[in-house]
Amino acid sequence: MSEIPGLRIERRVAAALPPWPDIVAWLRRTDKPTVAAVLAAADRRGVPVVQPRCGVGDHERMRELLQAIEAEGRPSVLTLTIDSYTRLKHFRSAAEALRRDPAGLNGYPLVAHGWRRGRDLDASVRAPLQVRHGSPDGRELFAVTLAAGITSFEGGGLSYNLPYSKNVPLAVSLEAWRQIDAVCGILADEGVPIDREMFGSLTGVLVPPAISLAVCLLEACSAAAEGVRCVSIAYPQGGEVHQDVAALRAIRSLAAKYLPERVAVYPVLHTFMGVFPRTTATADALIHYAGLTARLGGAVKVINKTNQEAYGIPDAATNALGVRTTAMAFTPFLDFVTVDEVRVEEERYWIEREVAELVDPVLDQADGQRISAAVEKAFADGRLDIPFSASVHARAEVMPRRDAGGGVRYQNYGRLPFSRATRRRNEQCLRGAPGGDRLIEAVTADINYFLAFDRHQDGDDHANS
Amino acid sequence: MTTTSPPPRQVILGVARSDAHAVANHLIAMRLRESGFTVTNLGVCTPLEEFAEAHTAHPDAEAVIIGSLNGHAYEDLRDLPALRSAGLLQVPVIVGGNLSVGSKKSDRDHERLYELGVDYILGDAEQLPLLLDLLRAEARPPLSRV
Repeated sequence: MSEIPGLRIERRVAAALPPWPDIVAWLRRTDKPTVAAVLAAADRRGVPVVQPRCGVGDHERMRELLQAIEAEGRPSVLTLTIDSYTRLKHFRSAAEALRRDPAGLNGYPLVAHGWRRGRDLDASVRAPLQVRHGSPDGRELFAVTLAAGITSFEGGGLSYNLPYSKNVPLAVSLEAWRQIDAVCGILADEGVPIDREMFGSLTGVLVPPAISLAVCLLEACSAAAEGVRCVSIAYPQGGEVHQDVAALRAIRSLAAKYLPERVAVYPVLHTFMGVFPRTTATADALIHYAGLTARLGGAVKVINKTNQEAYGIPDAATNALGVRTTAMAFTPFLDFVTVDEVRVEEERYWIEREVAELVDPVLDQADGQRISAAVEKAFADGRLDIPFSASVHARAEVMPRRDAGGGVRYQNYGRLPFSRATRRRNEQCLRGAPGGDRLIEAVTADINYFLAFDRHQDGDDHANS
Repeated sequence: MTTTSPPPRQVILGVARSDAHAVANHLIAMRLRESGFTVTNLGVCTPLEEFAEAHTAHPDAEAVIIGSLNGHAYEDLRDLPALRSAGLLQVPVIVGGNLSVGSKKSDRDHERLYELGVDYILGDAEQLPLLLDLLRAEARPPLSRV
């Protein structure tokens, strides 16, 4: 029976873990870099690392998948994507599905497999692993992740609740993630930095940059207060390069403004998370475009997509190809690629201003204390909000729109406390946006933005399959 | 002579029990709010009993609007006759979306839903404000099905 300090988890899961000193000793071993070390090195070099998503139910298949992607794609960090049962803490259902039909699972059930198999996966590849999931309460999964020797864990009390669950109160998810962050704080003091990535992609559909960054910064503030020293702030590619580059660059200045100096903060780009083009050529172009955006924005990591994204889970070869297509954006022969710096700076000014208008009142209200209650109240009031929320605990009164150049703006502000200047600028941007009165059609077209580029593709190799 | 503004018009909105599609739901909520409605949005994965509870809590609601995009509308709305005979959901029920599995839709899919007691099936969500206006003008059983 293992007691992880301050982490309240189900007894059955705790009983199967090794003692805490053994977990710490295993995390300290030096035969493999931590994810934090990989990110720090990439930041120094100025070349982003690429990380694919991957997860299947069966253990042997998972190991083969990791090894195949590593051999063909050479990613610097690899992923265990976790199945839906485990995300919802249905560990028994995950174990049953594993016995009955592992291929039916939509990810790797790490809790059901147990920490020894986690260590086996970790030992089977050179790159360190990150656990990616979507649990509003990931405490048991986190415990097994640590015991497996894995040094990076995605999620947060807002970004892994609002897009994923209908009715988990924010107080519940924020407290679960506070405990996780507190354990990371203890490990940081022990000399083991655990990378905590905040899921700024949220619902993945037309997320205005300031909303993504505000949510991640509030999670990062909570994490830093618990002692976390390595935070990755992930921003989803929207598709308009000036806005995306500005958002990535804003992560560093906002981190300097809102987080203590001892916290290392790494900007991460998630390759376009919305409706993906269906033709291989357009999909590959979008994937490469994300790489260029990451390069120009100074991202430290890219979580990439593949040219099978529109069709479901990719095979290993396609996944590895996605990694290489992204990484090709960092080669020296593309050194000539630049971006209109004046436009980027203008976007960045407004993104940082919007973030301040969202975040400052919440931090003021918390007044140096734990911010969870102030965050919860702000979401209840609609002063914080996300578009297309799956959860009833965000009002989802905010409605995004694309402007004529593809930038993501606000059709409706809901109750966000934006200044007159911010609103005026937003309305200027939206002038000339196509659509008119049929708002549902117009926003749907904005969501399907990249599908339009498929039309230029002849000789399509997927469309008839 | 002074005039007072009319009370806000209310509707109840949500997505059927087995369906987790949030995007269209929020687009429709926005469209209705822009048209001046107060929307009680129950969101995704909402069982019919919760629509009934919401109607009991908001008896002035003009309609209950249920989206279903995963093809399981009939299964998800099966309890409608039982709830109606218990005196609940005595309000027009409007259903829209992708109402059955498969790419070929038949009239039978719609008939089955009408037989359960669904009042309207709407193909174009942009027409919801118009339908709600017609319903209010005709505060009696439907003249025609949209």
